[in-house]
Amino acid sequence: MSFTNPFLPSTSRPGHGTVHLALLPPNTPVLQTVTYQYPLKLIAPEPLHLPAHPSHPTTPGPLIHTLFLLTYGGGLVAGDTISLTLTLAPTTRLVLLTQGATKIFKTPSPALVSRQLTHTTLAPASALCYLPDPVQPFADAAVSLSAIYDLESPGGDTPAASLCVLDWVSEGRRARGERWSFHAYRSRNEVWAVDVRTGRRRLLLRDNQVLDRWATGTLSGRAATHPATTHSEELAGRMDGLGVFGTLILRGPVFEGLGEAFMREFEALPRIGGRKWEDDAPSPTKLSALEAQRAARRKQEAGDGVVWSAARVRGFVLVKFGAREVEGARRWVRGMIGSEGSVAREFGEGALLCLK
Amino acid sequence: MTSTNDDQQSLQNEIASLERKLRDAKARLTTDAPLAPSTPANDVALHALLLLSDSALPLGSFAFSSGLESYLAHHRPSPPTASQVPSFHTFLRLSLSTLASTALPYVLAAYREPEKIETLDNDFDASTPCTVARRASVTQGRALLAIWDRSFRSHYTESSKANGHAVGLDSLTSFQALIRSASSAEDGFQRNAHLAPLWGLTTRILQVPLHDAAYLFLFSHARTVISAAVRASVLGPYQAQGVLASQDLQERIRSLVEEMWERKVEDAGQTVPVMDLWVGRHEKLYSRIFNS
Repeated sequence: MSFTNPFLPSTSRPGHGTVHLALLPPNTPVLQTVTYQYPLKLIAPEPLHLPAHPSHPTTPGPLIHTLFLLTYGGGLVAGDTISLTLTLAPTTRLVLLTQGATKIFKTPSPALVSRQLTHTTLAPASALCYLPDPVQPFADAAVSLSAIYDLESPGGDTPAASLCVLDWVSEGRRARGERWSFHAYRSRNEVWAVDVRTGRRRLLLRDNQVLDRWATGTLSGRAATHPATTHSEELAGRMDGLGVFGTLILRGPVFEGLGEAFMREFEALPRIGGRKWEDDAPSPTKLSALEAQRAARRKQEAGDGVVWSAARVRGFVLVKFGAREVEGARRWVRGMIGSEGSVAREFGEGALLCLK
Repeated sequence: MTSTNDDQQSLQNEIASLERKLRDAKARLTTDAPLAPSTPANDVALHALLLLSDSALPLGSFAFSSGLESYLAHHRPSPPTASQVPSFHTFLRLSLSTLASTALPYVLAAYREPEKIETLDNDFDASTPCTVARRASVTQGRALLAIWDRSFRSHYTESSKANGHAVGLDSLTSFQALIRSASSAEDGFQRNAHLAPLWGLTTRILQVPLHDAAYLFLFSHARTVISAAVRASVLGPYQAQGVLASQDLQERIRSLVEEMWERKVEDAGQTVPVMDLWVGRHEKLYSRIFNS
């Protein structure tokens, strides 16, 4: 006599999470699956109805789902592994957020590495907006973060998927004198184009940061042979006085305007090493609103020690930035994304929560 | 008395001539012994190595400072007369580390698996986040291809085939064909011809041992940066040769090659994040003498 177990086998494993944002016909996005296991925790508040587009006042605006990515203890303890799989159906939109910096706690041995792996599959015309708080590795922490984004190739007239990902890391607990004093921080962001029919994958972008305290090649000759004397030669020396460093990755039609704005502002930066005429010029009287805004932002940038660059690369706009402190960087990112305005318009104000 | 004097004189002459003979014999002995028969051990590799390390090799490297110019603009000495030499040394160290961690794995991979050149070129392009660095890498990569085409190909085709490097040769030929048809690339992906993977492939065809190829890749970069420093008036020409000859640089290159020897290309990454900022902001300099 055969016996069938009436319960589905449990598929959940520690630290694993699965999210499937599906499309209920005709066009209602629903979070079909949200599962997670300790120490990972996912919270999905009520989805947000965006106001209707002014040009089509009768059709309701898109429904935006939000997901908070949390861990017990507010971070990763040595040896923790979190593995999250996200799937976005065509035309759906997801906002990913965190609640405070992801803390990486001290590890007893550099070989015991905490890991966070996310694998996101974006169907054509879907959009992901991921503007989290920074990662904060404490002294003697070791962590490896890996985020893979698969963009399914659009067929016919369907627009491509859109992606906005912020990845930033801070020097640790500055108040406790921690300055890039962790063992290792590795962060990988990869974006792949996936041909659904053939299954062929092609790498579009790989952004790997490898911050190892003991990378030998970076030490000076004296330091390499006398490891005890290397404190100033370690990571902190490589970071050139910055307390936070980040990368913003933008792609797709939804973020086209935002990418354009970053490129425009980068082009408009004053030349480095040129004479700063505006300093001794009499107070400007007829600056346009844009110029006034720029001038204010530049003043802020100078005050916060913000250094940044933007580049258009293989269909992406890649922004790299550094600042003396997290708050300065936060202010800068919020200012840039906020003044352009499309993220709040397309995803709601909530998408900028971690930048507040 | 006279006869004794004469005797003395002739004795002394004899002693002198004997001593000279002894000295000649000794000299012959010492020069003969190490004059082992000339061993043509690996002069094919040596010759190729010399070709590639020649600063007259038209790679156009002189046009690039790899971020040095921008770095110096971001680190003006506080009294403007202070020496920039210490900050140059810091930059050289960080620049070599960056190049080794981002590009060297691609050199090694293209040498070891030449048939993957197209994927390596694409992945390297995907991993180069900054337009200025990409421009420098592609310009030099294409220049290397041109040198191969116009100068080396006819002399190395036969010998590489004979030495079992046909795979490398075929890969290079088909990659070149791809590049020529790049404008009509139907999948919308451009082939770029980055220096790092092509360096690996070319050195394999020229039969340079892998370790030497990797060492020379880093050495050439150091030489380019140092020569840029001379032209940017940071170092004097003798000082520059001194840096290039230094034990410190030798050990650094050796240890970087060691460290990256088994690094997979997927794990190649930026060890000095600010380097991307400096190189990327080169375009924002008020005045420039270099292309990167």
